[in-house]
Amino acid sequence: MEKRVREAAEAARLVGKEKTQFAEVPPVTDQITVRMKKDFRQVPLSEKKSVMEKYNRVIMDHHEKIESSDVIYRDTFRKVRYANSQGTYIEDERPDLMVRLSATARDGTNVQKGFESVGGGDGFQLTEGLEEKAKTAAQRAIDLLSAPPVTGGKYTVVLDPKLTGVFIHEAFGHLSESDFVYENDRMKEIMVLGKRFGSDILNVIDDGSLAGLRGTHKYDDEGVKTKKNYLIKDGILVGRLHSRETAAKMGEEPSGNARAIAYQHEPIVRMTNTYIDQGKTSFKDMIKDIKLGLYAVNSIGGQTAMEMFTFSAGHGYMIRDGQVAELVRDVVLTGNVFETLMNIDAIGDQIEFSKAGGGCGKGGQMPLPVGLGGPHVRARNIVVGGRQK
Amino acid sequence: MIAKKLIDQAMKKAQGAQASINQIESTDVSFENDRLKSIKSSQKTHISVKVILNDRIGSSHTTDINDLDGVVARALESAEFGSPAHFKFPSQAKGPDVKVYDRQILPLTKDTMINIGDEMISLVKKYNPEILVHAGVTKGIVQQQFANSAGQSYTTETTKFDVGLHGQLTRGRDILFSWDSLTRKNKDIDHRQIAAKTIHWFKLAEKNVSLKSGTMPVIFTPAGLSVLTLGLRMGLNGKSVLLKSSPLINKLGEKIVDERFSCTDNPLLDYASRSESYDEEGIPHQITPLIENGVVKNFLYDLDTAARAKTKTTGHGIGCGPTNFVVKTGNTSYEEMIKSTKEGLLVHSVLGLGQGNPISGEFSVNVFLGYKIENGQIAGRVKNVMLAGNTYDALKNIDCIGNQAEWVSGALLTPPIKINKLSVIAK
Repeated sequence: MEKRVREAAEAARLVGKEKTQFAEVPPVTDQITVRMKKDFRQVPLSEKKSVMEKYNRVIMDHHEKIESSDVIYRDTFRKVRYANSQGTYIEDERPDLMVRLSATARDGTNVQKGFESVGGGDGFQLTEGLEEKAKTAAQRAIDLLSAPPVTGGKYTVVLDPKLTGVFIHEAFGHLSESDFVYENDRMKEIMVLGKRFGSDILNVIDDGSLAGLRGTHKYDDEGVKTKKNYLIKDGILVGRLHSRETAAKMGEEPSGNARAIAYQHEPIVRMTNTYIDQGKTSFKDMIKDIKLGLYAVNSIGGQTAMEMFTFSAGHGYMIRDGQVAELVRDVVLTGNVFETLMNIDAIGDQIEFSKAGGGCGKGGQMPLPVGLGGPHVRARNIVVGGRQK
Repeated sequence: MIAKKLIDQAMKKAQGAQASINQIESTDVSFENDRLKSIKSSQKTHISVKVILNDRIGSSHTTDINDLDGVVARALESAEFGSPAHFKFPSQAKGPDVKVYDRQILPLTKDTMINIGDEMISLVKKYNPEILVHAGVTKGIVQQQFANSAGQSYTTETTKFDVGLHGQLTRGRDILFSWDSLTRKNKDIDHRQIAAKTIHWFKLAEKNVSLKSGTMPVIFTPAGLSVLTLGLRMGLNGKSVLLKSSPLINKLGEKIVDERFSCTDNPLLDYASRSESYDEEGIPHQITPLIENGVVKNFLYDLDTAARAKTKTTGHGIGCGPTNFVVKTGNTSYEEMIKSTKEGLLVHSVLGLGQGNPISGEFSVNVFLGYKIENGQIAGRVKNVMLAGNTYDALKNIDCIGNQAEWVSGALLTPPIKINKLSVIAK
């Protein structure tokens, strides 16, 4: 122990050529004990296994063309103790559970996958009654066998709530993480508060205090209380995500977004639960005037390089003459954050938060549980990858 | 030897057992936004025990060196719910000689590591002071003890050295990144070369140019070639073949791509980042030809998968994934490749690789560092461009293969490859 502390002190001495600042936060003492509806720690391994076996059978028995399945259950229960020299001491229990149901169908050399997942911290009951989801995953894999790949090009795209969540996380969320900005004068010019990023209907929020989502905690990993942070309000950039260091350097309030995946890692600026707030347009109205467009559904993931980003839908449907039409596969969308946010011209009237069990990676820390959400969203002129006819 | 003690303890109940203890020490120096940001030293111990009990596999891991009885007990306990074992633990066999330890790595001081970072940053700054630079230098050592109940037993010591550089240039709303990195098991990394490569891709991107959608010749740089190798790596995985999710089932011995294309899995290259004498199951490593002159030669297997597939392990435990993936060189120079292209795309890095349905060989990616080739010259960077196609179709359609291979981050050794035509969508 002594040797390790000495090494940390030596490292600090070598690094300490410039002053590191931290934003002041009031010291707190708190103890958070969670109560899960059905505590997964009390559930015997045999029961966990038999529940998963049941879903596995649903997938395998669904259709003769189902070639294999992948059913994953994982739970973790972490007890985090945080202390700092300013008097804060927090004990926080952090349960997390996820189930992923995945089916692979095959027809000759054509191999397609369908998947569904659930996740969250409220207990083992989340794993109950997933037969329909297992069937949906299997059926999707079957349906995709006969679906054509989407034809590449520029489309008006409607995103479903799951994909909206991934879209706003990749397209804009990462850009609002201040560690990309605080020591970068050019980025500061781009990210000036008060600048317009979207039309009046666009509101983007990151909120670590929303109950029951995967990015939810009472405190972040620097002992700062989480809260609702508006990033974009009525189309205007109004806030960003901070650690205590980035907040001090930029003279702004800490936002409760310093997070670490485990004690070996330093807390860095991360999202919690990020979503586009609900708007006023019904799904029907959103698609009724689209002559040729794409309805992109379910999410595989995304990647960003700040300005440009990609995100992948599990599958999609063409929209023809205002109606949802045929199923298409291999739907990967790309955009340029400054153009795509401006191109959002309709936001749905029903918000959904995803319970999917994914995670976000940054700075070698992966997977960090995050919450994603939003309503249906329509954007013009989105580039969709794919071969041309 | 602790591993042997764990085996003895497990064998009181189990029919077979395997244990490994890894002790990892590493020091990491990292720079952010042109300045030294942190120095981190870490020490980790991983103990893992795997047992076969009543024909089922059980396993457990711990980081607590004082919990040897506990880790064995949990491995035995988990066997009750484990998957059926189709294999037996391998008997004693000595692994081939491959150099994995460099005496020069451990004595590297933090100051030396800081100097490496500083020098790379000043090289980039000299080219363009507007670029914000991140850099990292890591050294490490892993000591491993391995033993199983069938008599296999050894200790290994491997070193690791890692140097990486990442620059960001923001011009108005145009955000550009360029980076390079290399991981090796010896100190033989030229950090100035890493800086030079990073600067090279910045230089070519000084001008943005536009590109028209269509099908066109595409040159993949060694780093860009990951777009095509990802599908292969997944398709050649023995487990995917066994579970019939690979498009390569029943293709063993069949010509699936251009006859100039060959690739092997090679864990025996001295000091390469994935080189080792043994795999994680104690199997001596070997070189495995994967595709030879366009013909599928082997799939990659671990013990259990091989037994289920009624074949032998290739030493790719656990998980049947490649070690160092090596693509054979051809006879065209990179310069010649570019010169012979009237209009085309040069791809160095992409966004979104692996999303979609990569095992089928399909890819649909945003070209992040991509350059337009016009009349045999690189005209500038292209943005907002999507590239789509299928690995197997692309590799049937090779125009030429580069005559020089390069390490990509340390696990892929490949030349550049030019594909006759691929579909490109531009905004």
